[in-house]
Amino acid sequence: MTTLEATSPNASNAPDPPVDNYLTYTRGVLSWVFTLDHKRIGLMYLVAVLGSFLVGGIFALLVRTELLTPGATIPGVDADVYNQFFTLHGAIMVFLVIIPSIPGALGNFVLPIMLGAKDVAFPRLNLGSFYLWIIGAILAVLSLVYGGFDTGWTFYTPYSTTTSTGGVIPVVTGVFILGFSSIFTGLNFVVTIHKLRPPGMTWFRMPLLLWALYATALIQVLATPVLGITLLMLIVERVFQIGLFDPAMGGDPVLFQHFFWFYSHPAVYIMILPAMGIISEIISVHAHRHIFGYRFIAFSSVAIAIFSFLVWGHHMFTSGQSPLMNVVFSLITFSVAIPSAIKVFNWMATLYRGSISINTPMLYGLGFIFLFTIGGLTGLHLGTLNTDIHLHDTYFVVAHFHYVMMGSALIAMIGGLHHWWPKMVGKMYDEKWGIIGFTLVFIGFNVTFFTQFMLGSHGMPRRYYNYEPEFQIYHVISTIGSYIMAAGFFWTLFYLVQSLFSGAKAPANPWGGRSLEWQCTSPPPHDNFKTTPSVGDCYDFSVVEWDEEEGGYVINRSKVEESSPDH
Amino acid sequence: MIDLTSTVVDILSATVVTVQDMADVAAPAAQEATSAAAAPKEEVRELGGDFWMPPAASTLAPATDFAFQVITWLSYVFFFGITIALVYLTVKFRQKGTDVNYDAGAPVHSTPLEVGWTVIPLLLVIAIFFMGFKGFLDLSTPPKDAYEINVTAAQWSWSFKYPNGATSNDLVVPAGQPVKLVMRSSDVLHSLYIPDFRVKKDVVPGRYSYLWFQADEPTGFVPEDRSARTAIGHHLFCTEYCGKDHSNMNRKVFVLDETEFKEWETTQARWLDEVPDEDLYMVAGPKLFLRCSNCHSIDGTAGTGPSWGDQTSGSLAGLGTLWERVTEGTSPIDGGTRDNGGKKLADYIGPGKLYETPEDYIRESIYNPGALLISGYGPNMPHFRGQLSDRAVDAIIGMIKNIDQFDPKGRYVGDVPN
Repeated sequence: MTTLEATSPNASNAPDPPVDNYLTYTRGVLSWVFTLDHKRIGLMYLVAVLGSFLVGGIFALLVRTELLTPGATIPGVDADVYNQFFTLHGAIMVFLVIIPSIPGALGNFVLPIMLGAKDVAFPRLNLGSFYLWIIGAILAVLSLVYGGFDTGWTFYTPYSTTTSTGGVIPVVTGVFILGFSSIFTGLNFVVTIHKLRPPGMTWFRMPLLLWALYATALIQVLATPVLGITLLMLIVERVFQIGLFDPAMGGDPVLFQHFFWFYSHPAVYIMILPAMGIISEIISVHAHRHIFGYRFIAFSSVAIAIFSFLVWGHHMFTSGQSPLMNVVFSLITFSVAIPSAIKVFNWMATLYRGSISINTPMLYGLGFIFLFTIGGLTGLHLGTLNTDIHLHDTYFVVAHFHYVMMGSALIAMIGGLHHWWPKMVGKMYDEKWGIIGFTLVFIGFNVTFFTQFMLGSHGMPRRYYNYEPEFQIYHVISTIGSYIMAAGFFWTLFYLVQSLFSGAKAPANPWGGRSLEWQCTSPPPHDNFKTTPSVGDCYDFSVVEWDEEEGGYVINRSKVEESSPDH
Repeated sequence: MIDLTSTVVDILSATVVTVQDMADVAAPAAQEATSAAAAPKEEVRELGGDFWMPPAASTLAPATDFAFQVITWLSYVFFFGITIALVYLTVKFRQKGTDVNYDAGAPVHSTPLEVGWTVIPLLLVIAIFFMGFKGFLDLSTPPKDAYEINVTAAQWSWSFKYPNGATSNDLVVPAGQPVKLVMRSSDVLHSLYIPDFRVKKDVVPGRYSYLWFQADEPTGFVPEDRSARTAIGHHLFCTEYCGKDHSNMNRKVFVLDETEFKEWETTQARWLDEVPDEDLYMVAGPKLFLRCSNCHSIDGTAGTGPSWGDQTSGSLAGLGTLWERVTEGTSPIDGGTRDNGGKKLADYIGPGKLYETPEDYIRESIYNPGALLISGYGPNMPHFRGQLSDRAVDAIIGMIKNIDQFDPKGRYVGDVPN
């Protein structure tokens, strides 16, 4: 330990640290409303997404509570109201929470910093995309004023074009606008990664989260327009009575399903790919170990993005599409299993001979691998033709996609939030409280959703208000699990907010990360870097050392010179 | 009048299989007495089957279950392998203190490993695919000699029509014989699912879809006008979300051995003809009402459609039974293909008007429900053209006229002194 040189411009021994960070750079409400800073936009997304998560979560709890007994449970909640509950839960969680969560909130915040850029390529477009999100969300809320909607988040025709609930058009318009928000974010990320890499940041030196966000952005740009067109057609049919999907007017309802899933299957990868990117970061940083199989993980992200466009028909094995198409789609569907498996095995190998810190982000990372394994393996049951015929549209599917969309995508988002929380707000949360929160969420999640596999394989259909009494025991267990999980999330909200006021000051590099965001102060300055950062191997942790004075890790410059950045 | 009725009784219900039942038909009052005496017994079916699967009751179920077991066991191997490795690695290589024990010699890449965990899963999923593929070919290829049943799905009921003209609400099938369902929907998407048979197929408006199965074990039989849940028979669910009563769009599948089935089919086709004319609405009404009861009540409770009985609350409070509202023509009209805006039923019913008699109006409401809509109710009712014979409509009109003689469950209770 001879010459330790903190790269952080934030001198550790200064009594009063410089106030120039992105939070204090300018002040006042307007400085936020019109901000072009990717970090502030990311933070606003975060608040908006977490607010929506709270609302969507309350609907989930209402759904679970209603299902405690067959038929009516909550006074005043009849089948119509229940149908609106699960529709709102699904639509909010998919369109307002999971799709924008990682790219919009965390991606916006960390992508330019990890890349070594000052901002995204198009800061105004970035702010525009956030306001489109706000408009979409407002329209979704307006739909409640117009009588709500009970179509399910899938908007299947001809039910969606004939149902008497008046909120269908506002919410569909809202989702249409949210689509543009997503497209703009994707476009921005693609251009940023292509054009704003500083010297030395080659494609294969990029942190894997950036590969994942890049692959995600490609899907956002290419698939989302299809959703937009489809929803526009739905509006046209409902408003002008032009028969596109309704057979009573000469349309084809199965066509709608093709269009819808052509977007909505890739959308699943818009949710899971960035989550996988976060896990690659969390696992390697907290294991302090070079990521294993960098190129395989990077290319598997791109492979998943490509395959994601070719498997939509697996949502339609019972829909009446031709048996030949079912067979082809089933075969291609299995191909997605391979890159997913590659990632899991590489994460495991990364743990081998690592130096693993068992803390909250790492627990979420390990929890992700556990939950994603279950979500992925049960995907085999659903990709297989004859078993899917039995399981389609039952709780087995509900359990499967919650393991993937919530247990994986959202858990990774929460893990990433803990991982970058010190960077974003400059405060440390209480580690013990974090572990309690994770434990509650993890146990609650599995109790809630594992039981639903058994419900579904025994034949319990989804979207049921009333059900056969023999299913009740599993529903009760599942509901209890959802309360435990809710307690975990409220607890997490509590200690994160608490950390803002009384958390310890965060060092620049609390975990020992090596990628560029750990080299600027916490919170980062307005321009991210005072000087163009020097780019090394972002997974070479040999140069990372603990610095007692700093209270965090620092990078030993003298070691950087000798270590080779080769993979 | 040729023998129309025996072929057209498209509605449901009624199962006059035993001599005892026949006796009940002849004496509705006696039936009431016995059913009042025997309290309805709720029988809850057990979950059955094993940890994962419900009982397997069709000839193709074992193939599906085998595929499920293979995938599940494979999943156990991977799941426990990954979980144990995860815990072991985390514990073994955990960091003590804050110092990073960076292991410079730890491998960061291994082509043989990468190829290994690419190729092995690939081979496994290809094997799984073929297993599912073979099972699916069997599931989607109905045998040529299958017994065909026509299925009509509507919000929110099923109607099964048999080759001899019989119709039913529950699906009744012969044992040991392939059965092919030819399915259509009269409104939105539905999906017919029988978990015990491992079969499911969407029912799509504007096109026909097929589903086939063969069940070898008879289940026993319970008539459709049961007043309590029964544990006998297989569940039949709607599994494509179709609106308000989606979760109530479920019935039973009964498998009968060949002779029992023949007998049931014959009786089922003829029951309406065999009801004596003077007992028509008292006997046939309740059986036909089973199909209507999803949306229409008798006791005045508001449903998806207007109640047939006295309205005690809601926007139509004090307007009396459906028959009174129709004969007096008081109900406000608020929509429908013949809506002229702001009118009342009275403007449409009477000599020289659109409907000569109230009966004509009720008849049109059954055959062409969208014509006039009572205020507060949407265009939700499917039409019953080709499904209900004149005789069936007569029975329903008779029941609506004399709704005071029926209890809230639609059972005939005779004249009750006020």
